[in-house]
Amino acid sequence: MYEPTLKNLTNVDYGKPPDSQNQILQELGTPHIDSFNYMIEEGLNLAISDLLPVEFDTKGKYRVKLTLLEAAIHQPRVPTGSLGVKSHSIYPLECRQRHGTYSGRLEIKLGWRIDDVEQMIIDRDIGQVPIMLKSKLCHLEKMSPKQLVKLGEHQDEWGGYFIIKGKERLVRLLLGTRRNFPTAVQRNTWKNKDKFFSDIGILIRCVKDDLTTVTNNLHYLTNGTAKLMIPIKKRVFYAPIFLIMRCLTNSSDEFIFRHIIKGHENDLYFIRSVMEMMRSLHESNIHCQEDAKEYIGIMFRPRFYELPEWKTNKEVCDHMLRNYVLIHLNTDFDKLKLLVFMLQKLFSVAQNKCLVEGADGIMMQELMLGGHLYLKILKEKLQTWLNLVKINLLKVDQGGQPSIGDMMTALRRCDLIEHSMTNFFATGNLNSQSGLGMQQDKGLTILVENISRMRYMAHFRAVHRGAIFESMRTTEPRRLLPDAWGFICPVHTPDGTPCGLLNHLTKSCIVTKSISRKVLNDIPKVLVSLGMCEASYKPQDINIGFVYNVILDGRIIGYVPETLTALFIKKLRTLKVKGKQIPETTEIVWLQKKEENILGQFPGLFLFTGNARMMRPVFNLDLEQIELIGTFEQVYLDISISEDEIRPNITSHREVTKTDFLSHLACLIPLPDYNQSPRNMYQCQMGKQTMGTACHNWHLQSETKLYRIQTPASPLFRPVHYDALSMDDFPMGTNAVIAVISYTGYDMEDAMIINKMALDRGFSHGSIFKTELIETKPHTYFMRDPFKEDLPDSLGVDGLPHIGLKLSKGTPYYSYFDEQIQGFIIAKYLSNEEVIVDSVRQCGDFTTGRKIPNKATITVRVQRNPTVGDKFASRAGQKGIFSKGWPAEDLPFTESGMVPDIVFNPHGFPSRMTIAMMIECMAGKSAAVHGVVHDATPFKYSEEDTAIDFFGKLLEAGGYNYFGTEQMYSGVDGRAMKASIFFGVVHYQRLRHMVSDKWQVRSTGPVDAVTKQPVKGRKRGGGGRIGEMERDALISHGTPFLMQDRFMDCSDKSTALLCLKCHTILTSLVQFKEDSYSSKIAKCRVCDSTKVQEIGIPNVFRYLCSELAAINIKLQLNIEV
Amino acid sequence: MRILRKPSYRMITEAETPDDAPKKALIYICGACQAENEMKPKDPIRCRECGYRIMYKKRTKRLVVFNAR
Repeated sequence: MYEPTLKNLTNVDYGKPPDSQNQILQELGTPHIDSFNYMIEEGLNLAISDLLPVEFDTKGKYRVKLTLLEAAIHQPRVPTGSLGVKSHSIYPLECRQRHGTYSGRLEIKLGWRIDDVEQMIIDRDIGQVPIMLKSKLCHLEKMSPKQLVKLGEHQDEWGGYFIIKGKERLVRLLLGTRRNFPTAVQRNTWKNKDKFFSDIGILIRCVKDDLTTVTNNLHYLTNGTAKLMIPIKKRVFYAPIFLIMRCLTNSSDEFIFRHIIKGHENDLYFIRSVMEMMRSLHESNIHCQEDAKEYIGIMFRPRFYELPEWKTNKEVCDHMLRNYVLIHLNTDFDKLKLLVFMLQKLFSVAQNKCLVEGADGIMMQELMLGGHLYLKILKEKLQTWLNLVKINLLKVDQGGQPSIGDMMTALRRCDLIEHSMTNFFATGNLNSQSGLGMQQDKGLTILVENISRMRYMAHFRAVHRGAIFESMRTTEPRRLLPDAWGFICPVHTPDGTPCGLLNHLTKSCIVTKSISRKVLNDIPKVLVSLGMCEASYKPQDINIGFVYNVILDGRIIGYVPETLTALFIKKLRTLKVKGKQIPETTEIVWLQKKEENILGQFPGLFLFTGNARMMRPVFNLDLEQIELIGTFEQVYLDISISEDEIRPNITSHREVTKTDFLSHLACLIPLPDYNQSPRNMYQCQMGKQTMGTACHNWHLQSETKLYRIQTPASPLFRPVHYDALSMDDFPMGTNAVIAVISYTGYDMEDAMIINKMALDRGFSHGSIFKTELIETKPHTYFMRDPFKEDLPDSLGVDGLPHIGLKLSKGTPYYSYFDEQIQGFIIAKYLSNEEVIVDSVRQCGDFTTGRKIPNKATITVRVQRNPTVGDKFASRAGQKGIFSKGWPAEDLPFTESGMVPDIVFNPHGFPSRMTIAMMIECMAGKSAAVHGVVHDATPFKYSEEDTAIDFFGKLLEAGGYNYFGTEQMYSGVDGRAMKASIFFGVVHYQRLRHMVSDKWQVRSTGPVDAVTKQPVKGRKRGGGGRIGEMERDALISHGTPFLMQDRFMDCSDKSTALLCLKCHTILTSLVQFKEDSYSSKIAKCRVCDSTKVQEIGIPNVFRYLCSELAAINIKLQLNIEV
Repeated sequence: MRILRKPSYRMITEAETPDDAPKKALIYICGACQAENEMKPKDPIRCRECGYRIMYKKRTKRLVVFNAR
């Protein structure tokens, strides 16, 4: 068993890049990269071949057909024709610094035909598309740590994100319905769709190999029929199931009937319903496949304007069936078989013979990955691009035969791909006509903030349930269901709005990648060799009893008789663990038929081999090997956690480690099993807000905001996982000596006192780096105005600040010369905070001939040493505000003369029950005394072998009290304290919330233009709002003058003239007297009365009166003077 | 250490040239090859040695902290 040590800090090789990268850290990027690599290697060309060729007639009646033949994305390279460039590769660092996009050329081969005569293939670049870091197209892919460090990257760079306009953006992992599995769902909204619709349906999310997604629902209608939902371009259509079935086969009604009834011969209601549905189809005069196809073709023709008008109705129907109905299946007969299966399941669920599954369980879900989404978007954009070529070709068309020159002119006008792809990644907004089968079109990408190492890592393991659930009132999708065990961390989820929706994958969870097509094609043969019967075209006449349908990735490939199934699965699992014929990432789900009266899922034997599923390793007891199991598979397995839990012949698997169900961050909490559970959740949140070592290449960074701590230390009490993640390379806290004692200076709840001398020694000293991109228009250049005398103090001749310059409000920041106005423009530094210029960079661009904006980045450093009001936290969810820096001589001291760095309020313990923090206090003390580091891995200690006893004995051995307490003396008068004080060493984190970023104060200042009330917001110099509840408090205190002061005098007090005759404030006006210009008179403009009174009103009230007047409502103020 | 050995280093620092020349160039360091480049306003931002596009401003020799008493 590995024990943590401090040795790696004193190792002579510390700081040198190792030979290989940390495998656990690399796996953070793996799911993202795998999906992207799939796109480049297979997906892209699958998608290209699936595109609909664009056919049209030109003015001169030439029939043109455009087909995309091939597409390829290239590595990021300097465009040809750039001057004096030595290295032609573009590396990510440059893109970050220049605020550029890490992208490569998209090259396509376009085939075109005129009147069916093949023309010369056009080979062309159609723009730059973003490239994922560390993918096969990235220069960093196979680099060693040494090479990475040389290029200004981190040795453990794991990639998986994109760089768009200098920002690191990641496609959020989204949980969605499991693909190609007919899920029985109950949804109340379905009832309102139309007459007879019930809340029961079978939902199947069909996904093709090129990741095109279409969701079909089979609805149960209360009149005993079923309708299939077909979504076409964001609109949905409902077709009777038998109409679709008729389109799919030319077989007789009897054949279809027997297929459907198979295995349900005793279900009279089902038989009657099926017969009724068949009869009603004949009643609508559809008797054969031809009729049905013709009918569907006529109905759907107006929907498919992209199909040329010379296509027959039958072709339209085929197009519809191919692209919108069960699209993961390629043959009509496969589709028919699956529809039959869905129909059987539907009626079984409707008659309450088996359970609904619901889409909220992890077992019914899989992930949406970045590369896959990329592919879907690119496919759609390429189709749009093809149509755009058609439009542009028709524009240049003069009536003659289209020439290659015409094509080139048309192609030059089709700039679409680059902009729309970059825009998607920059904003996360999906702009699509079909919706791509996605549930949301906003917030699909996130900015990978690098606040601390923990925050950065967590982004890559975060999975979101979907934005629509955030606004839902029900808490159903937020629940932590038992099937999430081992896949979703129960600890690591934020509190508040995203609670339970934004989750994190456990440390052992992997995401499957695509398996090779050859292995996949051979699986049916392997299954037959294991005893599966192939699904024949003819329903069996002889009855062999109950059979399980074998469904591989949503395709019914055969059946296994009930009696043989157990053995079949055993053999299959053995092959799976071997991983040759059956891939390791196969999920084997055997939904067993239940006894009478016991409800279960609809029986079947499901195999999943697709990508984007979550799987995790467990130990297979029979085969004594590690096996990967999926989310759905796990539900039907018996897995023990420890060796002694194993029940013979029932338990089939065992967990690999006890901490496999925790995420990386949860695993970094010391002894989380000793804390009250929400405290661990808080620590997961706070770890991500810690000021720490975010990176090592500070001088190369150009992130908008970076936090850095000057004096970090390695924790003395830490889980093994801390070392596994190489967290010592990015330390983020300080070991503080704490005394838990009621002392003075706790000015509010959770306040803590810090020793002033500790602060002077550098305790938690830190700084913030802020980078600003300065872009000036074309036709300008950076230069200092030579005629301004005080400018050289702050700016160099290049018009940019000296490095090391102290900037305060009003200091010249940069200056440039504008050729258009022929003058210098000097920008001043605007922030109130004093900063120091850390680095200045000028960023050029490639020589394109075009005039481009001037770019420079200025990085400034803000000193942020702890001040009263800053936030600190231990690693047990115990946060506190620094309330007072207490002089060391006034703090209590121990017999050995130790003075605490932090004085912790003992009231923080009873209600929070963070026992782990107390243990850490003892363990830290013992570690400091003995010069070791202690293991804080969860589940290490038990009731019999307690942590307190272990560390108590160690403390005794070091000459301390067993319980970690010490005799202390008051720092004020030197008297010994009667109580023993709990005293030890705890690892403290400094959080990024600092008063300097938060304080807000205002006396007078900016006001709103309309209401004349003070504006809100710290940035604009606004005030804090005294809202309704504060108003209630003032009323209840009986303080009307204070109310008057707050709500009138200090807000928008104004005077108005009130006409006492018309009782309104809108009509009176001060004007000169008619006879002289020396004196003025107030007079009502409506009634000419001079009985006008000046009154004080809030300005908004006048506004209200005018607004009301605009809608013909007069507001009368019946005031007596 | 490496920079000090370069003979060209002392020749082109700004402290050496008189302060008042208006068209004076500044030293920028290439982000890729660390070569020192003289850059004048209006110059294209590109390293003369390797064609790299990001140039770092060199730390000034002048006193920027005035109240150091």
